[in-house]
Amino acid sequence: MASLLQSERVLYLVRGEKEMRAPLSQLYFCRYCSELRSLECVSHEVDSHYCPSCLENMPSAEAKLKKNRCANCFDCPCCMHTLSTRATSIPAPLPDDPAKTTMKKAYYLACGFCRWTSRDVGMADKSVASGGWQEPENPHTQRINKLVEYYQQLAQKEKIERDRKKLVRRRNYMPLAFSDKYGLGTRLQRQRPGAPISALAGLSLKEGEDQKEIKIEPADAVEEVEPLPEDYYTRPINLTEVTTLRQRLLQPDFQPICASQLYPRHKHLLIKRSLRCRRCEHNLSKPEFNPTSIKFKIQLVAVNYIPEVRIMSIPNLRYMKESQVLLTLTNPVENITHVTLLECEEGDPDNINSTAKVAVPPKELILAGKDAAAEYDELAEPQDFQDDPDVIAFRKANKVGVFIKVTPQKEEGEVTVSFKMKHEFKNLTGLIRPSEEGDHTSGVVWLTHHVELSLGPVLP
Amino acid sequence: MPLYEGLGSGGEKTAVVIDLGEAFTKCGFAGETGPRCIIPSEIKKPDVAKPVKVVQYNINTEELYSYLKEFIHMLYFRHLLVNPRDRRVVIIESVLCPSHFRDTLTKVLFKHFEVPSVLFAPSHLMSLLTLGINSAMVLDCGYAESLVLPIYEGIPILSCWGSLPLGGKAIHKELEYQLLEQCTVDTGLAKGQSLPSVMGSVPEDIVEDIKVRTCFVSDLQRGLKIQAAKFNIDGSAERPSPPPDVDYPLDGEKILHVVGPIRDSVVEILFEQDNEETSVATLILDSLIQCPIDTRKQLAENLVVIGGTAMLPGFLHRLMAEIRYLVEKPKYKEALATKTFRIHTPPAKPNCVAWLGGAIFGALQDILGSRSVSKEYYSQTGRIPDWCCLNNPPLEVMFDVGKAPPPLMKRAFSTEK
Repeated sequence: MASLLQSERVLYLVRGEKEMRAPLSQLYFCRYCSELRSLECVSHEVDSHYCPSCLENMPSAEAKLKKNRCANCFDCPCCMHTLSTRATSIPAPLPDDPAKTTMKKAYYLACGFCRWTSRDVGMADKSVASGGWQEPENPHTQRINKLVEYYQQLAQKEKIERDRKKLVRRRNYMPLAFSDKYGLGTRLQRQRPGAPISALAGLSLKEGEDQKEIKIEPADAVEEVEPLPEDYYTRPINLTEVTTLRQRLLQPDFQPICASQLYPRHKHLLIKRSLRCRRCEHNLSKPEFNPTSIKFKIQLVAVNYIPEVRIMSIPNLRYMKESQVLLTLTNPVENITHVTLLECEEGDPDNINSTAKVAVPPKELILAGKDAAAEYDELAEPQDFQDDPDVIAFRKANKVGVFIKVTPQKEEGEVTVSFKMKHEFKNLTGLIRPSEEGDHTSGVVWLTHHVELSLGPVLP
Repeated sequence: MPLYEGLGSGGEKTAVVIDLGEAFTKCGFAGETGPRCIIPSEIKKPDVAKPVKVVQYNINTEELYSYLKEFIHMLYFRHLLVNPRDRRVVIIESVLCPSHFRDTLTKVLFKHFEVPSVLFAPSHLMSLLTLGINSAMVLDCGYAESLVLPIYEGIPILSCWGSLPLGGKAIHKELEYQLLEQCTVDTGLAKGQSLPSVMGSVPEDIVEDIKVRTCFVSDLQRGLKIQAAKFNIDGSAERPSPPPDVDYPLDGEKILHVVGPIRDSVVEILFEQDNEETSVATLILDSLIQCPIDTRKQLAENLVVIGGTAMLPGFLHRLMAEIRYLVEKPKYKEALATKTFRIHTPPAKPNCVAWLGGAIFGALQDILGSRSVSKEYYSQTGRIPDWCCLNNPPLEVMFDVGKAPPPLMKRAFSTEK
C-alpha cells in the first residue's frame, strides 16, 4: 500500500526552456509568472556560507579571505573526517622555580576514525585549544606574485595603447602636426625588422617606453634533472607510508608523496542556496541565515499553491477493459478552489506518454479550503456540497476522492494516462490598492496543468 | 596574501579558472598560487553505480550538455562557493579539443549559468606564463595522450604539433593486463588465487592507485635492458633484478600481491618505440625537426613538461636521458645541429602548471575583458571563435582591418567595443 504514495507516479509538466516532467514535491511555483518552475529552469545563487562541523555562519567577505575554509575546524588528511582536539597533561617546569614541575595542558589533533594524530607529521603540541594550528605556506608564492605584477604591468601597457589607438582613430582628421600630442605616434609602434616579434598578443615590452619597469628574471632551465636515488630500485615500500592519489590531491599546492608530510587542512565550508526565477527575477526560495535553522524566509514551493493529485487505489487493469481508479485531490490554499479535470485532446503535443484512454468527471469539482483548526472544532457543521456519488468517492476536510475511468489501449507494458487539471489561483501579489467597487474577482487566474499518472503494468 | 587578492581596483571580482582534463579537473580563482580543488572529471548518477566521465567526445549533445551542466554546477556550488553570474571564466583547454565539446561547454556556461564572459586559453601557451619566458617546447603528458606544441615568442607554432596516445590511460590498460596475467590474490578463504578468478577486471581507480603508489620510471640504462628483455624472444637478454613485491590491500579481506617486475616495466610503454619508432621522447625531437631552423636552439634549451603523467618518479630524468640518447641516432643526428637540452622547473606541480598560467592570466583584469568572448557577443552570433573553423565571422567584423593588425594564430579573440 505504501508504494502508492510514491510521488514519482504523478508527474506534472513544466514548461521551461526544456519541457520536463517532475513530481509536484520537487517543483516550485512562481507567483508572479503564475507558472511551475523546476530546478533546471531557475538560477541558483549562493546565499550564505557555513561550516558543516561547527555550524558557524561565515560572512561572505570573511569566507573569501579564508579561502572558503573554517577557522576552527580541521580535516584529517588521511580520511577526511573532522579532527577533534584532544588534551593531555605534560609536566613542564614552572617559570619561577625550575626544580618544581607542574602539569600543563597540551593540545593535539586526532582523528576518531582512522586514528591519525597531529604528532604523526611532527606537529608540536600547542598550548591553546584553538587558533594555534597553522597551515604550511606554499614556497612559490613570492615568485608567482612577482610574475603577476610583471604581467599586470604589461597588461596595463596594452590597455593604454588600446585606448590610445581608439583615441587616435577618432581623430584621424587632425593634422599631422598634432600627432606628437598623443604620444609617440604610429612610427615607433610599427614592428621594426629584426626586433623580436611582439606577441603573446602584445604582452612584451616595446622599446623606448616607460623607464620605470618591473624587470623579472625569466626562469632558468637546468641541464640535469635529479635521478632517482640508487636504493629506489631495491628498497621495499611500505604502502602505509605512501600517500594515495586522493590524499595528495586534497592539497594541490604540495601533493606530498610521504604520509609524514600530510598536514591537515581547515575544513571546507558549505553553502545555502537561494533560487530565482529566470524570467521575473523574483526569489523562489530563500533559506534562513542561521545555519542551524532549516526554515525558509521565502518558500514558493508548488505543493503550497497547486492542488495535488495522488493515486489512492488501482484495480486490476486489463487490456481494453474499463476500470475505475481512485484519485485524491488535495487543496493547499485556504479558500474554496474549483478544479476541473479535462481530457487531453487529439494531437496534443504534450500528450506523448499515455498508453490508455481516460474518462474524467465532466463537472467542476469543489474543494474545501484548508482549515488548520478544523480538527479541533467539533461543533462546526460539515459543509454540504451535494456530491455526485458516481464521481466523488469521499470528502474529508480539504481532500476529495475522485473516480476516473481508465481503458488501457496496449496489451502489455505500463499504463500511463494524462489529463489536464484546471484550477483557480488567487494572485495576491498585485492586490495592494483597494478596489472601489468591491471587485473581488480581480487577481484570479485560471491555471491549467498537464498531469501524467503511471498506474502500473497491464495484467494479462 | 597577494596584493591583488580581493576586489580589484575597478571592483571587478576575481575570475574563475577551470582546467577540464579528461581525468582530473583543476579549478580555482585567478591570482592564487594553486587550484582550490583537483577533482576527478566525473559525476555520480543516482541509478548508475560507476561514476560517469564528463569529458567524452563521442556522445550526443544533449547528454554532454546535461553532464557538463551537472559537473559545473558541482564545481561552483560545492568547491568554489561563488555565484556564476558575477565572475568571468577562463577555461584552459587543449588545442586538440573537438569543436563540438567546446561549443557545448560554452552553451552551458552562457545559457545556463549566465557567466559574463568566457576565455578559452590553450594549456601549452599558459604554462609559459608561469616561467616568465616567451619561447619553449611544451610537452603535456596527460591522461589520454601526450601532446607537444612548440611556442616561439609567444606564438604557438601550430604546424609543428605532435601527439601520441601514450598517457595515463595507456599505462592503466597495460598495468591492468599485467596484473590480471601475473598477480595473485589472498582472499579470506584461500591464498594465492589468480586474480582473474577473484575479479574479472580491476576497477580503474584501483589500477590508478597502484600506479601512483608503486610504479616508477627507471633510468635509461635500466630501462633499455628491461625493454630488451621484453622483446627478446629467445630469452638471451636478462632483465635487471626487479624491485621488491608489494602487498596491496584491495579491501578488508583481499590482498593483491603486485609482483616486482610489474612496477618498473609498465611505464616502459611510454618509451618503447613501436613500429613507427615513436615514443614520448621522439615527440619532442620530431617536433623540433619540423620547427624553423633558427628557432631550434632556443626551443631545445627551453623544455617544459607539464601534466599529471609527468609526475611519475624518475620520469623527467628518464625523458632527458632518452632525448640525449636519441639525438645521437642517425635519424636525428644529421637533422638536428643543436645538442644541448635544458628543462625548466615551473613554480607548481606539473599537473597544476597550466592552471597556474591561466590563473596568472586571469589576474590581468585590464585585458581579460577585452580578450574574452562576452555574453553579448555570444548571444548575437551564437558561436565562439575557434582556430580551426573557417566559417567564423570574418575578422573585419571584430577588428577594423587597416587600423590594427589582425590577431596572429591561436590567440583568444577579443571583442572591440
